[in-house]
Amino acid sequence: MSERGARRVVVTGLGAVSSAGIGADEFTESIRAGRRTTSPVRSFDPSGFPHVHAGEVHDFEPRRWLERIDPAHWGRSGQFAASAARLAVQDAGLAADDLARTRAGSAMGTTSGESAVIEELVGAWAADGLKSLSPDVVGSVPAGRIAAAVNSELGLTGEALTLATACSASNYALGYAFDMVADGEAEYMLAGGADSLNRWAHAGFYRLGALAEEVCRPFDADRSGILTAEGGVALLLEPYERAVARGARIYAEVLGYSVNCDAEHMVHPDPTSIAACIRAAHRSAGVEPEQIDYICAHGTGTRTNDATEVAAVREVFGDRIPPISSIKSMIGHTMGAASGFGALICCRALYDGFLPPTAGVERTDPDLGPGVDPIPGRARDARPRIVENHGFAFGGNNAITILGRVA
Amino acid sequence: MTSAAALSAPAAAGPVPSATPLAVTAVGAVSAAGIGLQALGRAVVEGIAGHADPTGLSEESLPPRPVRVVPDLPVAELIGRKGTRHLDRTTKLALVACRLTLDTYPGRAGERSGVVLGTSTGSIRSSSEFSMETLRQERPYLVNPSLFPNTVMNCAAGQIAIRHGLHGVNATIAGGHLSGVQSLKYARNALRQGHADRILVGGVEEFCPQSAWGWHLSGALGVDVPVGEGAAMLMVEQEATAFDAGRPVLARILACETGYGPRGRLADALASVVTAALERCGRRPEEVGAVSYGATGLTGLERIEERGVRAALGGRTPGRGVRVKESVGECFGAAGVLQIAGLLGAWRHTAAPAGELALVTAVARDGNVGCAVLESGVLA
Repeated sequence: MSERGARRVVVTGLGAVSSAGIGADEFTESIRAGRRTTSPVRSFDPSGFPHVHAGEVHDFEPRRWLERIDPAHWGRSGQFAASAARLAVQDAGLAADDLARTRAGSAMGTTSGESAVIEELVGAWAADGLKSLSPDVVGSVPAGRIAAAVNSELGLTGEALTLATACSASNYALGYAFDMVADGEAEYMLAGGADSLNRWAHAGFYRLGALAEEVCRPFDADRSGILTAEGGVALLLEPYERAVARGARIYAEVLGYSVNCDAEHMVHPDPTSIAACIRAAHRSAGVEPEQIDYICAHGTGTRTNDATEVAAVREVFGDRIPPISSIKSMIGHTMGAASGFGALICCRALYDGFLPPTAGVERTDPDLGPGVDPIPGRARDARPRIVENHGFAFGGNNAITILGRVA
Repeated sequence: MTSAAALSAPAAAGPVPSATPLAVTAVGAVSAAGIGLQALGRAVVEGIAGHADPTGLSEESLPPRPVRVVPDLPVAELIGRKGTRHLDRTTKLALVACRLTLDTYPGRAGERSGVVLGTSTGSIRSSSEFSMETLRQERPYLVNPSLFPNTVMNCAAGQIAIRHGLHGVNATIAGGHLSGVQSLKYARNALRQGHADRILVGGVEEFCPQSAWGWHLSGALGVDVPVGEGAAMLMVEQEATAFDAGRPVLARILACETGYGPRGRLADALASVVTAALERCGRRPEEVGAVSYGATGLTGLERIEERGVRAALGGRTPGRGVRVKESVGECFGAAGVLQIAGLLGAWRHTAAPAGELALVTAVARDGNVGCAVLESGVLA
């Protein structure tokens, strides 16, 4: 009973704030080179933690990127989101007024919302009790402020929706934004996500035994876990017809997506359910498995994730598994922004002609079975036509998007 | 690429597609008014203040202001004892509301069902206490890993799916005061796209010292307005699905519209989403018989909401005004769906005839505005 919206939807603008650089060009260049941009944490005091590496956006200066909102009134995640959105609009060759005059909105994903703001308040609570919380800081706590920051920065009058479906949230946001534009509910949508580094997630992942010491190497036989990370990412979506009419650069077309839920376990992903999500995404996009040229993996670097993900992919693709890589090997796990960064690099891979690499793979884990090509080291020149972007999450929230090159 | 100047007259926005009505076929609520819809409906209609004693809910001292809390959360009776030890109050409230809803649902939930759950920030108590442990323990990583999932905002939605085997769309909407209308809009699209055949649309907020102090110090809430807690849930499906299965429709959701207004223009922004919502479902302002207000007690916003609604309705204030917060307190991420449950409860308590048209409105300080249009169904 699915009713696909009438309009084709394309991505015409990309914005990134990440450890691999600010702006889609810097980000893409860093990823293509296979550069690892994780480093020791500076935004919180990591002393006492045995593992201190993360994908931090060092020395972020929000005032350099934001034109309208005052960073003092917004949390770090909101600043990341609004900066990435501002960059995406500029990248699309649009003035913010062009969006403000029509039905335009945002859908942004997150795992921990304004976690850095919450930890600032926890610091005050620890020092002087709850009655010492700063009213200004309290106002920045709600996670919904992330999409609100985007709308306020760009003067958008459409919906500002923050999706908190953890580590697949950006793909949830991208799917929803796609529907809104396809259906004519919106003329432009900014879709993406944002998260900030925080002590609590660092501690939690460490205690779960999921945190790598220094290097995140998905698909490698010696992989030892994730690196936590932060950043903001935004994709500008608009109808294909208008993008062509205004002579816009079209990075990619959003072909379809799917979301489902394992409903089995909070932290252990389920390959059968993920395979069902992949198949539904293919149906939504009207493509067959053999048409997929590349998979941008969830690829966290834990033994469980990579084994589950490859098993799910094998269930759908059989013996011919498309090249599958993880950009988390370079920037770490940006949580709610992760599948947004995946979507961004997919757009550039389709437009520029390359396959993104997995950094740090020395020996592909033989336990993953035959035919796994993680594109080790550096990007590979190629002309992918249709690609698949994975996002899985806590709570079994799977979301998969399919993007294609516009001929 | 064309310059921005070439876009001085952007392609006119095309017509917005007509909205398909959705059916509410079950509802459950847990709040300071008590367990279940009946308690909420009676409290709303008769102006009864909910339970006000927070004993046992906080080891920290609480701010000097009124509170409204759920007296005895029947966790063991309604969700069992198994696997509940590490669940936080947010998840327990959501699971109780879910159980109450499914208990009144005449169909079977099952695999093709989804969850869309509204929140403000997840359990702020769980995340801040977990963070606090990284400061208090001898080593920052000596946290309890079983409590880690509680710090993630989609924990409650994931638990609902696990306990009831719901494999459809599972979304958590961090909309704060907008959670109700944003969740309904998200669910409407998900049903249209076939991501589920039926969706539990809910909202949840727990009472805790962290948020009580936050509200108290922020000045965002009137000084005498209680901080509350609760959860509410609606089973929502396409109207045709409900008809075909012969399920009674408790209410119809005719439209849900959201928008964003600049500072100083919030009343106008709200008025325009109310107008758009009524236009989307082909109804006239004079047909509106009820309003369930969302901004009750919020400093500055309460008047803006009343002004925006009145402007959209041609200066008229409808006869039935539902202010659920007067009974249950400020419930933030749960407020929107509690507004709807409160409206349904009031309709039931007063034996309202089918066909009464109601607005459910929300407005937030950052700029978010929203309006859902509901019509009463068979509530007897």
